[in-house]
Parts: sequence; C-alpha cells; structure tokens
Amino acid sequence: MDLKHQRAIAVIAHIDHGKSTLSDRLLQLTHTVSDRDMRAQYLDRMDLERERGITIKAAAVRMEYKADDGETYEVNLIDTPGHVDFGYEVSRSLAACDGVLLLVDAAQGIEAQTLTNLYLAVDAGLEIIPILNKIDLPAAQPEKYAEEIAGLVACDPADVLRISAKTGEGVEGVLEAIVARVPSPQGDPNAPLRALVFDSVYDTFRGVIAYVRVIDGVLKKRMPIRFMVAEKDVEADEIGVMAPDAQPVDTLDTGEVGYVIAGIKEVSLAKVGDTITSKDRPADDPLPGYREPKPMVFAGIYPIDGDDFPLLRDALEKLKLNDAAFVYEPESSGALGFGFRCGFLGLLHMEIVRERLEREFDLSLIATAPSVGYEVELMDGKKIDVRNPTDLPDPGGITEISEPYVSVMVVTPSEYIGTIMQMCQDRRGELKEMHYLSPERAEIRYHMPLGEIIFDFFDQLKSGTKGYASLDYEPVGLKPSKLVKVDVLLNQQPVDAFSTIVHRDKAYDYGKRMTERLRKLIPRQMFDVPIQAAIGSRVIARETVRAKRKDVIAKCYGGDITRKRKLLEKQKEGKKKMKQIGAVEVPQSAFIEALKIDQEATST
Amino acid sequence: MSLAIPATRTGSWTTEAGFGVYVHIPFCTHRCHYCDFNTYEGQEALHDAYVDALVDGIMGTPGERPATSVFFGGGTPTLLRPEQLGRILRAVEATSGIAPAAEITVEANPETVDERIFEGLLAAGFNRVSLGVQSLVPKVLVGLGRTHSAERALDAIAAARRAGVSDVNADLIYGSPWETDDDWIFSLQGVIDAAPDHVSAYALTVEEGTPLATLVTTGRVPDVDPDLQAARHSIASELLGAAGYERYEVSNWAMPGRASAHNVLYWCAGDYLGFGAGAHGHLDGRRYWTTRLPRDFIEAVRTGSSTTAGEEVLTRDTRAGEALMLGLRLTSGVDLSAYAVRFGSDALERRAAALRDLESAGLIESVAERVHMTPRGTLLGNEVGSSLL
Repeated sequence: MDLKHQRAIAVIAHIDHGKSTLSDRLLQLTHTVSDRDMRAQYLDRMDLERERGITIKAAAVRMEYKADDGETYEVNLIDTPGHVDFGYEVSRSLAACDGVLLLVDAAQGIEAQTLTNLYLAVDAGLEIIPILNKIDLPAAQPEKYAEEIAGLVACDPADVLRISAKTGEGVEGVLEAIVARVPSPQGDPNAPLRALVFDSVYDTFRGVIAYVRVIDGVLKKRMPIRFMVAEKDVEADEIGVMAPDAQPVDTLDTGEVGYVIAGIKEVSLAKVGDTITSKDRPADDPLPGYREPKPMVFAGIYPIDGDDFPLLRDALEKLKLNDAAFVYEPESSGALGFGFRCGFLGLLHMEIVRERLEREFDLSLIATAPSVGYEVELMDGKKIDVRNPTDLPDPGGITEISEPYVSVMVVTPSEYIGTIMQMCQDRRGELKEMHYLSPERAEIRYHMPLGEIIFDFFDQLKSGTKGYASLDYEPVGLKPSKLVKVDVLLNQQPVDAFSTIVHRDKAYDYGKRMTERLRKLIPRQMFDVPIQAAIGSRVIARETVRAKRKDVIAKCYGGDITRKRKLLEKQKEGKKKMKQIGAVEVPQSAFIEALKIDQEATST
Repeated sequence: MSLAIPATRTGSWTTEAGFGVYVHIPFCTHRCHYCDFNTYEGQEALHDAYVDALVDGIMGTPGERPATSVFFGGGTPTLLRPEQLGRILRAVEATSGIAPAAEITVEANPETVDERIFEGLLAAGFNRVSLGVQSLVPKVLVGLGRTHSAERALDAIAAARRAGVSDVNADLIYGSPWETDDDWIFSLQGVIDAAPDHVSAYALTVEEGTPLATLVTTGRVPDVDPDLQAARHSIASELLGAAGYERYEVSNWAMPGRASAHNVLYWCAGDYLGFGAGAHGHLDGRRYWTTRLPRDFIEAVRTGSSTTAGEEVLTRDTRAGEALMLGLRLTSGVDLSAYAVRFGSDALERRAAALRDLESAGLIESVAERVHMTPRGTLLGNEVGSSLL
C-alpha cells in the first residue's frame, strides 16, 4: 500500500489501564478478527499460546480501516514491552512508529512507567494521541486527568479522547484520530532497503523471527539480505504480516510492518535495533539508535543440587537463543559449588530469567545477592570491570571504583513526597527535578546508584506510599564512589557467596546484618566459630557460634539400639551433605536461607 | 576380692559379657509425659492374662544359654504382684536357665513398693531393684508428671535396704525446664545420703511423639538447653564422684563392683532374649522386636502365632559400627585388639581414619590398646558414634 495510507502506532499504557481491551476493540472494528473468532485479550492469548510453541508472537498486527474520508488505511499496531528494564526495546518499537496512543485510566491518572515511555515518544518526535480510558467507571475523573495529560503533552484538555474500551464507546474516534492526526511515514521507496528490527524472537521450528518496519526501499521474498550491525548475510526465506495470524507475502513495501524468517539460529544475530538492508544494493548507513544491550545487574545462579549443573548449562544456552540481552559465564563458589555469573538488564529481567529457568526447565536454583557492575581503576592506570564482588582486587591496588547511576523517576500522590525524598536520600540519591503533574500528583527525579535500588527500594517505595507511587529508572552512566568490599568470614575463612561491594557508610549495617543472620543459621560445631564481617583485614562486625557442649543420647539400652543407630546414621548422612568452609561444616540450607532473605527483600 | 568380680560388674567392656533375658511389663498407673516407652495406662484387667501369656511365651521358646542377667523392665513391673513376677522368672529359669550369681533386676516406681513387696521380690528370686526416683524436688516431680513424693522415693530406698535388697539403683532425671542447678544438687545430695549402690542420671530428652514434645513445639514448655544439661552432668560427676560412685557409662554411676551387668551386656553388644510386648532381643547379629500392644501380644501367644513384629539382620560391618557406638559409652572404653578379634581387623582398619580424627579433635583418647571417650567426648558421644558407624 502506498505511504500515504500507512500508519504505525504503539500504545503506551500502564499495566491494567486497558491496552489489551482497546486492542480487542480495534481488531473488531477493523474486522481483523471476526466477531465469531473474538475472544477477550486476543493478542495476549496469542502470546500465551506462543509460549507453548503454537503461534508466533503478536509483536505487530496489521489492520485495515475504512475511514470517514472513504479511504482505506493500513494501521499497524506495534507492541511495546511494558517493563522497567526494557527502555531500549521500547525506544526501538517507538522508532518503528509514526505515532502513539497514550492510554490512561480515567480513575487513576498517569503512572511513572507510562511517563517514561511518553517522554521517549516525545523525544522520538512522534504524534501523541492522548486517551482517557474507562470513563464508564464510577470512580472515573476524566476532567481532572485530562488536565494532567494536557499539561504533559501540551494540548487542550478538550483534545484528550475519552473512551471506554470495555463498552466500545469512543473507540471509532481513536481510529479516526490515528488517520487524521498521525502523519504517514516519510521513507524513500526508491532508496536501498533499510528495515528496522524492533523485536526478534526465537522459534524452535523456524529459527529467529525478526519483526521489522521497512523504513526505506522494499523487502522481497528470497532476497539476499544483511543484518548491518551483526554483519550477517542471509536470505529472506519467508516474509509476511500478522493480521493477526502470520500471512506470508511476497513484498513488504516502504512503511509496511511485518516479519522476516531467514534461518537464523539465535536472536543475538538479529538484535533489536539492527537494520536489514539488501546484500546486493546495501544502504550506506544503518538506521540510527542501535545500542548493544548492556547488562546492569549481575548475580551468580547455582543449582541447589550440584548434579543439575549440566542441566542448568543447557537451559542457559537455550535461553540465550531467545534473549540477546542476557549474558552468562561459568563461575565457581566455595559455598555454592559450580554455577554461572549472569548479567541482566535489570531486576525484572533477572526475575523473568530465573522464573523461566525454574518453570520451563524445572530447575531448583539459588541466586547470590544481585550486584551491579563496577568499573575499577587500578594503580597502574588500567581499568577493569568487576561483576562479582569476589573479583575485586586488593584495596591497596585500587585508585578508584565507579558504580552505575540511574535516573529514577517516581510519580506519586503529593502527600508522599516527603517519604520518598527521605527514602532516596537514604540511598545516596541526588534530587534532580520535581514538578507537579496536578495539585495532587508529582513527578520526582533522582539520580541514584543502581546498587542502592536493587535491594529493597521497590518494596519500600510501595509500602511507604500504600502502593500509590510508581517507579521507573534508566541508566545515566558511571560515577566514582567510596565503595568497599565487605567479606564475611567463617572461622577466618572468607565465604565468597556473601562478599559484597557497598558504600563505606553502609558497610557496618551489611556486616552486622549478615553476621547476625549467619549466627542463627550455622549449626554449632565442635569448636567456637567466629563469624566476622571485614573490610580487607579490618573486622567491622563479629558474632560467635558457640561450640556444641552436649550432643549425646542419654539412654541407650537393648530396645533403643536400632533406633539410636539410625538416628546417628542420619546425623552422619547430614554431615556428608555439608559444605566444608575450612574446618566448619555448613549445611547448604544455611547458605540458601541467608541468601533467600536478601532476595525476598529484593523482589518487586 | 576385686579379682573375683566379673568384668561386667566393674563396668568394663568385654567380649564375654554373658547372656541376658529381658522381660517387658508394659503397664503404668499413670504415664509420664516425657516417656516414650512402650507402656499403657488403665489395663489392669489384662494383667493376669498378660502374665499367663508371658509364661506361655517363654515356655514355648527354646532356651539358649543360661542367663547371666535378667532384667524386668517397664512400664512398672511392680504393678504386678511379686508372685506373678516370680512365676515369669521361673519360666525363664525353666527354659534358658539362670547362671549362678546372675544379676536379676526388677524396675519399680516408689509409689508401688514397700518393705513387704521387696521381701516378696527377694523371695521370688530378684536380687537387684531399680527405683524411679527422678527428683527429690516437689516442683520438678510435678513438672515431670510423677505421682510420688520425694519422701516416698527415699522411703522406698530405705525399705529395700531393710528388706535386704543388696543391689539398689536410683534413676534420676536432670535438665528439665522446671529444675535449677540448686534443685539438681539437692536431688543428688538426697540420693547420695540414701546410699544406693548405683545411680543412673539421665538428661531429660524431648522424645518425638510424646506429650512433652507437643508442649515444647507449641511453646507451652521451654525446650531443654543442652548447655545447661552439660553443666548438670558435670555437677553429677562431681558430687557422685566425691561420694565414691564411679561413672562407668555416659549416664551411669556405681559403687565399685556394682555396675549393672545386664546393661553392660547391651554396651558390649552381647546377646539377649526379649519377652513381652514391645521387647527387643539380639542373637548373634539378628535383632528382633515383638508386637507392641499387650492385647495383641496376649492374642498371639493364645493362638500360637508369632509374637515377633519385626527383625533386622545386621551386616558384619553394621555390627562392628554398633559395637563401637555402644562400647565407647563405657568410660573405660573398648579394647581394640579384642574388638579386632571379634569383628575382624578390616572393620577396625575402615575406622582407623575416623578414630584418628576423633582423637585429634580431643573426643577420644587411647591408652595402649584401649580407646575411650574423653570427658568432653562423652558429652558429644553422638559425634563419636556417628563417625564410627
């Protein structure tokens, strides 16, 4: 279809603000899905089915809409990941769009996540169509929130559409606004092919499916193509569109949205943000904006049962096929055995990976406390990356340690501003900006070390604001800090799994917390076991597990022997399963418990 | 004189511990909440039938060797009349036979005995009495759920003496949540003054499935404190030692030559028959136990079916491991050369590394061919036992 009748849009919405329901209505109104086939949350269900390997991802859906002007338009609805860790992926989805629908719950107002993505859309110069959804709800306050939104996107409150995706009220107006207000794409059909990869997924049967928007030129079936960043030459075995099921086509014209299957075996060769060009008539430059995915949060992942190590390795290999942002390398720990140091985009990404490993691969795992990646400058001027606190060199050889900072954005009812500021200050935050979205709601922006928010910031924020505040963050680079490594020693032996890098002012708290926790978890031994937290050779906290004084069966007569022998055999078996840290025998469960508590504090 | 005393009565480990017979009487008027023994309240109507069944059961079992020790345990054996207990003992005599100078013990609770009963027990053939004193402090007795008074317990010891019982043991329990150090000292002192020949002092153990365990897990009674129990064990050793008692096993003290031959037999991994409901026996590596419920036991004997409920045939190595687990409970320890002769030198070699580790950890000591637990090792006997199994 010609450029003039093309529109590609994304929906920016907070979870539960009605994105799926609006998509359903759009599919119905455009007859993309017949009323007979319609099910609630149609596209989400396709995603679920994809997990079971049936259908490919509904990353983009093509709809045809006959507008009031009598013309038929091709409207592509492009999906955006709605997660705090995937800002880059969102930016690439938006780069494939001509405009966005800003969908806000008329009873709740805009949330931090939505705001971040809105700013991304504004930066990308996209037309924004603000929409208040759920106006049928008794609690809806469309007037109030229309003011708020109008202030953000600089429009008249009257221009904010008011709809109920549930009842269908006003949805036709959304399609009309897309046609009327969103500009058609500006690509050059005669230029060499440039297609933006905005999503890519791995399918067991087909290999990688890359979702693209053709920015310039034409993509043809069987065409020799090149992924410009990956420098990978392949042939476009199949190209097609989703309407909403996959339909192979022969060409994708300028402005069109579709998929490419080219026999690629892992997503890291068809990364989000890469540009596909023609091998025979290549473009000079790839499309701007590509970024290498950069892991921000690291954790060691270990099988609880050491025998599962090969299974874990296979699982990580498979996972990597489908997740270009995930990195891992083998490591070993005196406390936890053999495992992998894994890098994630953020905490949520880590949660997703862990959950997939446990659910899809049926593995029982233990993860070390997450840490961020540090840049360490050595005396000789060399710089090294440290992703595992154990790898931090001796403090004497270090001139400076830098840690990643993030820009944290919190949207909150104004009554909690004080609480949130306190919370951010406690975490070494630096206030950058605060402004009121409305008299009742404010947006606060802090720069904070990422390391400070990976522990319990989400939880604290939620409980401190009765769940009303929302949060988003994005990396803003490295900054030198007064960081120290705290080691935990059992009977003078460092336990690698508990080493951590923290700000100097927080070292004591960490040391005290870990030593107290371990004192309760480590069984009494035949001798006193000192548990120390230390910075280098300086001990900052100490607890002692007192030697066991009495462990003997009081009565052992004729009728007791078999039972008591079994009791001692069990004791012996238990001992065999213990990890040996120097002379100290520690049950695996003690490590797991000690680390679990940190994870509970971390989970969002 | 002391040369005439058999090793078992000095409390020494020996490969010639003799042959024992254990008879279980599974009745109590009141069950104490810490008790996990096989015993039942309110079954008085079964007493006569149980005695008949025991006698028939013993008579129907081919005799082994003459018993060098016989032990009537419970429950409360003295809930039965001395004549009834005597009838059972006659059956043992008629089948296995009873060796000259055999030690023949009956357990008794203080509230069930007086001088006349003791006379009856002596007449029936018993020569040793083991009394469940447990404590001489009223609040501790109440806490433990005992129904006798401290006075009654001391009276029982005196009555046994007056009746002419030459071997008297007093059982004590320490380290219960209701007891202080002073209480424990008071009980020990009172028992020492009553001058039994033998004292067994047990750390209170919260056994799984007992009412006490429920009280502890639900937080109504504090759990026992092993550190505190270790201290009380030391107190017992001090006071009893000063009064002339020698500790010959983890929980047992005796005047010289008054160790319990029957119990020493267990710690020497010897052979014994077990009769009655829920009794255990051991013959050359085969351990067996009988049906637990008195009613089932009576019924089995009456119908001529087996009273055995289960058995375990021990491998040579398991026997060797058990022998150390048991033998090292004895203060004087185990003679390793005799042990190697009995269980094979390979059994000893397999444990050589573990023995060395225990020695360097200060839990055991060896003097010539004998290895024994140090005082510290004694209180950590499970560490020793488990690493030698």
